[in-house]
Amino acid sequence: MPDIHHPGRRSVLAAATAGAASLGASWLLTGCTGASAAPVLPTDAKGGSPDRGGTLRIARPPASDAETLDPASALSAYEYLGALYNRLVRVGANGDLVPDLAESWEPDAKARTWTFRLRAGVTFHNGRTLTSADAAYTLRHILDKATASPQAAVLAPLIDPGKLRTPDARTLVVPLKTPNAEFPSLLTHYNCYVIPDGSAGGIGRTGIGTGPFKLESFMPAGPGRITAYEDHWGGRPVLDAIDFYSVADMSARSNALLAGQVDLLSQTNLDFATARVVAASDRATIARVENAQWYVLPMLTTEKPFTDVRVRQAMKLAYDPEHVVKVALQGAGTAGWDNPVPPSDPAHITAHPKHDPEQARHLLKKAGHEGLTLDLYTSSYDPVFTPMALAYQDSAKRAGIRIRVKTASADSYYTQIWMKKPLMATYWYTGRPVDQLFTQVFRSGSSYNETAWSDKAFDALLDRARQETDDERRRELYGEAQTFVVEKGGAMTPMFADRLVGLSRKVRGYAEHGFEFDYLGIGLRGA
Amino acid sequence: MFSFIARRAGAAIGTLFLSSVLVFLAVQALPGDVATQVLGRDATPDAVSALREKLKLDQPAWERYVDWIGGALHGDFGLSLVSGKAVGGEVGLYLGNSALIALVTVLFAVTGSIVLGILAGLYRDRWPDHLISTVSLVGMSVPEFVVATVLVLCFSVALPWFPAVVLYGPEASVGQLMPAVWLPALALAVVMAAYIVRMARTSVIDVMASEYVTTARLKGLSTWRVVTRHALPSALLPTLHVIALNVAWLAGGVAVVENVFNYPGIGKLMLASVQNRDLPVIQAIALISAVVYVVCNLAADLGAMALNPKLRTRGRTR
Repeated sequence: MPDIHHPGRRSVLAAATAGAASLGASWLLTGCTGASAAPVLPTDAKGGSPDRGGTLRIARPPASDAETLDPASALSAYEYLGALYNRLVRVGANGDLVPDLAESWEPDAKARTWTFRLRAGVTFHNGRTLTSADAAYTLRHILDKATASPQAAVLAPLIDPGKLRTPDARTLVVPLKTPNAEFPSLLTHYNCYVIPDGSAGGIGRTGIGTGPFKLESFMPAGPGRITAYEDHWGGRPVLDAIDFYSVADMSARSNALLAGQVDLLSQTNLDFATARVVAASDRATIARVENAQWYVLPMLTTEKPFTDVRVRQAMKLAYDPEHVVKVALQGAGTAGWDNPVPPSDPAHITAHPKHDPEQARHLLKKAGHEGLTLDLYTSSYDPVFTPMALAYQDSAKRAGIRIRVKTASADSYYTQIWMKKPLMATYWYTGRPVDQLFTQVFRSGSSYNETAWSDKAFDALLDRARQETDDERRRELYGEAQTFVVEKGGAMTPMFADRLVGLSRKVRGYAEHGFEFDYLGIGLRGA
Repeated sequence: MFSFIARRAGAAIGTLFLSSVLVFLAVQALPGDVATQVLGRDATPDAVSALREKLKLDQPAWERYVDWIGGALHGDFGLSLVSGKAVGGEVGLYLGNSALIALVTVLFAVTGSIVLGILAGLYRDRWPDHLISTVSLVGMSVPEFVVATVLVLCFSVALPWFPAVVLYGPEASVGQLMPAVWLPALALAVVMAAYIVRMARTSVIDVMASEYVTTARLKGLSTWRVVTRHALPSALLPTLHVIALNVAWLAGGVAVVENVFNYPGIGKLMLASVQNRDLPVIQAIALISAVVYVVCNLAADLGAMALNPKLRTRGRTR
């Protein structure tokens, strides 16, 4: 499975079994707790300061029986990574890049060679001091074909592993094949956690990193334990330890939370019925990660009738994203207006065409597709897919578009339906810097280009943007790229949804955005 | 009598052979290309073709079947495509955990439901019968995940007596699993007991209305003695098959309940394997389930023969 859907590949395990089961369960639970039908979800995560110490118990969906702690792998046990390792740079709460292991970084005048200056006094869990050799080794490990890292496809066109230089123990020099002013943002990916020099053979089991926690035990698709690393460069974490448990079934996970067996459901988007039950419990509550999921209805631009840009425009004008947010998310999200760059991203632009069913009808007529009838595929892979499809179907009716919603099997959805059927539902996690987003999902020929959209002018625009060293000008170019995608691309982006995370009422200092999770600050009250 | 056993055993072996063919064909027919499903969406074409070769997907189906069944007869089910471990050992581990649940369930369900069924039969159309029959009808109609969820709500969430889910992996010891066994076993027992109660009740009513019970009563025997010595063996006879079928269902049909409780049993392994398209594991589990099914039925037939003199001699008189 691709990195983009990384956490999603877990929900497939839950989705298939839970499908019917969770429906019954949530119905039952709702009935029993007497929760009303109106959404009464808390809007704030549990803030406040935690007590020092304690053990946090996290239930997570396992990736596969072949899970590994190697961050570069497609089968990494994602929930452990941020606790065990650090990257050179990470994404801050406002979407900007902030230092992690690199305290500073700068390009040459043409953004062709990047120099990273590493933090001093950082040690790995085995006591060794971090040097630039470790950082260079990490990049080579990702690029190594034997690793089969999903991030290799992104970095390989830019980096020649043989040309990486380490002039001194704290300096890493990365010469690029083509200029790229946004290069550091590519290193915020969770495949890019820094591992010790020469550790490729054992890293999948040892988990030796520079992170706030060190590994005590780990079993693929099973339980594991990490403990506070006293010598962490950023200070000791609040918690003494975290116990991870893998629970594949979504309703089993929420039962564990309700029964007080675990404190946090990691990387899980609860469906609204379950979320209401959890919020009504006196043991547990809900935290929202704002606009964390980016929902898409991709149209394959290589398949009729979507080869015609007028049809794609009509499909977008035909529906009202505000309606989809209201119906499919019960208001817990933001309308996307077909712009894939989330509102929280500093590069986001707000200009977009208005909802206009009459104009859509007119465009369809001109394209010779009056009274268009289409199949739209969904599955129980994610609880929002089908409500989103139905809301679209309902909204697009006014433009004379007839949508037949087809439900496909969840476990083969991403191998049989995604990028194969002309019209379907899918989602990504937000928190991807703008250049990475456009390069991976919209550029001609990229492996996750789910609409198979290919536009030379758009690619050229991207090239110009990433080579532009003037920050203001570059931001303008990425704004143009958004307009381009909204007007000509194949992806409909109805909305950004809040992720609903279930946690115990004892949890304090919970903070999560994009792919970032605050392992240092999280703790428990009364630990 | 010997020929009867031989005929039954022969039929059992034939059934097993047929089911092995069906299992093999069904697994081949799973939607989604096996190699891409196993490797995920990041698979390179090289990796896919290498895996197809490793799985011998380029060979004709009958050749692969012969390979597989030949290994299975020697207890060699191949290697898991996901974990790379021997399938036999892995399946055994999960099967052992499920056996723990099955054992407790059978003890609960069989003893409890036979007693209830007999009571209902003896008190036909009076309030104990109405109560037992209604409850068992409800148990039969409600799906097991609903029963399981209600049990979790009552005995894990509201009253924290039992764990709601198992947080251990498949290597957990019996001692670690024991507290978590009761709720799944109870959920399965409720669903399973309903059938046995109905069957036992009907048999008891039939037997109690029969001439030889009337004769025994006329001879002046106490009701207790009539029931235990004369009525019970005959009443149990038709119930045996229902019990056997339900025990067989336990072996394969616990997937839903095990997932609700995150119990590391064979049902959970089967579900994960189907999702990962881990063919050798799916085939092994399906074949083992078929064996359990056939053996349970065989045991029921032989048990019935032991209880019923007419069946025992049928081979000779015909």
